[in-house]
Amino acid sequence: MRLNEKKFYDLASQRGIEAASITINKAHSLSCGVFHGEVNNVTISDDFSVIAKGVYKEKFGTVRVEAIDKDTPEFLVNSIIETASVIEKEEKATIFKGSEKYHKKNLYKPEVLSTDLSDKVKILLEIEAKLKAYDPRISEVASVEYQETDTQSSLSNSYGLKLSQKSALYGFVAEIVATQGDENKTGFKVFFSDDINAFDIDKFVEDVAKDGLSKLGSTQCKSKKYPVVLNAKSASSLLSALLSNIDAEQVQKHSSKFEGKLHQQVASKKITLIENPLEPNLNFRYYDDEGVATRKKTIINKGVLETYIYTLETAAKDGVEPTGNGYGSGHASASLVNAKIKAGKRSEEQLFEKIKLGVYITDLEGLHAGLNSQSGNFSLQSQGFMIRDGKIAEPLSLITVAGNLFDLFMDVKEVSNTYAANSHSNTKSPALLIKKLSITGK
Amino acid sequence: MINKKQAIEVLNAGLATGADYAEIYVEDVFSTGVALDNGKVESASKNRSYGAGVRLLKGYQSVYGYTSIVTKESLLKIAQDLANSFSGERVLTIEKLKTKKAKNIHTHEIPLSTVPFEDKINYLKRADKVLSEYDPRIIRRQAAFSTSKKDIHIFSSKGYEYIDSKERGRVAVMALAFEDGKIETGFNGPGASAGFEWFLNEINIEEIAKNTAKDAITMLGAKECPSGIMPVVIGNGFGGVIFHEACGHSLEGTSVSKKLSVFSDSLGKQIASPIVTAIDDGTIPNGWGSNNIDDEGNPTEKTVLIKDGVCTSFLLDDFTGRRIGMKGNGACRRESYKYEPTSRMSNTYIAPGNSTPEEIIASTKLGLYAASLGGGSVNPATGEFNFAANVAYIIRDGKICEPVRGATLIGSGKDILFNIDMVGNDLKRAQGVCGSASGGVPVDVGQPTIRVSQIAVGGNGGELK
Repeated sequence: MRLNEKKFYDLASQRGIEAASITINKAHSLSCGVFHGEVNNVTISDDFSVIAKGVYKEKFGTVRVEAIDKDTPEFLVNSIIETASVIEKEEKATIFKGSEKYHKKNLYKPEVLSTDLSDKVKILLEIEAKLKAYDPRISEVASVEYQETDTQSSLSNSYGLKLSQKSALYGFVAEIVATQGDENKTGFKVFFSDDINAFDIDKFVEDVAKDGLSKLGSTQCKSKKYPVVLNAKSASSLLSALLSNIDAEQVQKHSSKFEGKLHQQVASKKITLIENPLEPNLNFRYYDDEGVATRKKTIINKGVLETYIYTLETAAKDGVEPTGNGYGSGHASASLVNAKIKAGKRSEEQLFEKIKLGVYITDLEGLHAGLNSQSGNFSLQSQGFMIRDGKIAEPLSLITVAGNLFDLFMDVKEVSNTYAANSHSNTKSPALLIKKLSITGK
Repeated sequence: MINKKQAIEVLNAGLATGADYAEIYVEDVFSTGVALDNGKVESASKNRSYGAGVRLLKGYQSVYGYTSIVTKESLLKIAQDLANSFSGERVLTIEKLKTKKAKNIHTHEIPLSTVPFEDKINYLKRADKVLSEYDPRIIRRQAAFSTSKKDIHIFSSKGYEYIDSKERGRVAVMALAFEDGKIETGFNGPGASAGFEWFLNEINIEEIAKNTAKDAITMLGAKECPSGIMPVVIGNGFGGVIFHEACGHSLEGTSVSKKLSVFSDSLGKQIASPIVTAIDDGTIPNGWGSNNIDDEGNPTEKTVLIKDGVCTSFLLDDFTGRRIGMKGNGACRRESYKYEPTSRMSNTYIAPGNSTPEEIIASTKLGLYAASLGGGSVNPATGEFNFAANVAYIIRDGKICEPVRGATLIGSGKDILFNIDMVGNDLKRAQGVCGSASGGVPVDVGQPTIRVSQIAVGGNGGELK
């Protein structure tokens, strides 16, 4: 059943809701996996949700439902009034009327979506067989999975704004166990793309296998401070934590160490960070969840913080224009879409050349626990390799890397020239060379 | 909603191509959230989620589909699409379903779904008042109350329609302290499968707020945690995350059944020090991680995973049990209809021992006291795990001394449980949300104070002296 939007807006207006909006999200997904030469799991899913927001007596109310019946408009209106009635914020809530111009692009490529999964199963079985045959030390192919998602989202409001976006993507994920004596290590790779021709089976197999095999024979290094190269994936995770501090709400509530740091040096001169939600890739967004047009902007220029990021509410509070960063299904909070640290000139290998004795970090674990993005303190279980005389040497596991996020980004000495491929992360960093970090081993 | 007759039609459509098990899981969830920021209500929300998942099993294969359109037609289509994944002859036909209503093991004198926002706000304001008066260095205070009521129908080819209703609530209290450019935070999040009376009578919200503020302030004065291998005393309650990560996940059917866990062949073997007994108990009345029945209709159980150091059981659902010839033991769980269910922990804890916490501290010459832990993670295939200490102190000559910040403890699950050399008598459980294969599910972790004779501590403060 479809939501009768007109009925909702009419009812909202009758009940004294000053302005309202409706977001409808739909997604159809398929996934399947193989194990030991046969299909192990298949999942077919249909996601649907409606998020209604409204301003009632100058306060903001919100409700989310996953099913529609004839009583839904009534339920949405009542819930907006009920939730708005308890809000005690002094600021006047608003629903955004619309931006002057939107940079809509049609990047929807439905050809990546399958009509049935049988050809994908063949690819999965081929990947599994190739992984098994790759090296006798691969003791198990723990999982080989395919998934694809077709999503549609639309936003309308009582001022007549109508926006919508569609996207389709597919991906492969595989994990192996590599064994040598008593030692087990896992190798893992995620691949996502919206380009049907981008997937290369042999390259994927090699990446998964090598990720696991290269970790065998691992040891712990002596505990001390080392120069460190963070690979692009690890650097991106830490960057994402750092950037949670540029949300203007955190700054206004004195919860960000970037408070008072606008137009000041917050990172090394090597760091320039540009957010471009309009770049035609998997992350493309031409409007945020509040309906504000997105745009390309420099967030950090040669280490200097150029702007915070805003929702409608925090922008009004600071007296600035909203930046198109309001995301979230209820009360919006500011986040970045497709933000990248500008790549440098040298390859990852060239970053190693500068190091006599150091550590190359390839995996960081437990980021949700061992890292406090507000204080910046982190201590994380890691894997990687020693760097000896400018080259990769023995693998390391069960080590920790510890430090402070804010210091780490100040201590970036060099930025490499490549990002992690086929990732749909919203914050991307090339590999980073860091002056020194504490490594605990033995 | 569909009725039994329609459900039988859907199940039989799913069974047409040789599946040996079919199930329809229908869920109607009503949830609310309200949050204070610096004493004022800044957000309130209502959420109704409704949907159904169809699961078919054939030998070691499982197929799953879900939708938010719960009609016979949409479910029939899913069942037929899923059945197309198999090619075989029908082996099972369902004639009738018997209704089995789960026995409720929890008390809900004041059901949370009936409590108006105003009462929850007043409750949160009690916490906020304590935070606001604790110390001027607390510059941000947050408190939130979330509730969820789930009504579940599981139509199963085992011949039953299982009906259950469960309601949970959780409070979150956060404090952020600032001084000299340094920021530190404190957090506590008690919750239960209970009514509002549990929050009013069983926990002391003022005390919880005070402890939250105290943690943030204590950590402001903390030095960086030293690093290296050292004895670590881990506090009770949320300290149990060590067992959850180091061992619990690696005993789940998802990894043991495919021989992907370091503990796959460990039944009957010594995997921990003889003073360690560990239990997963989904039947604790009002427990945050408890359930009346699991998500495939089996009653939840109290399962002894490790008895005196010997591995005695895994956590299984009927499907993951198949590969190792065992039956499910009530551990089949999922976040919502959007997840295919699998074996998960419920309320998992290390049983109490004989030492007092004071004795444990007093017998430690130089080491770390991890008073309060954050979360962690594990790779079951390698057994390598990590967890973070949110509040920690150095122990010197049997006394708790200076606080230290930024500590993560790491190790290998195969070894670490053998290093537990003292177990206290002060068992306590604490609440969390565990994220894994079938989504985020509420779990309790728990333990008495324990000591690990040696474990690797990663910090930024150099060697422990």
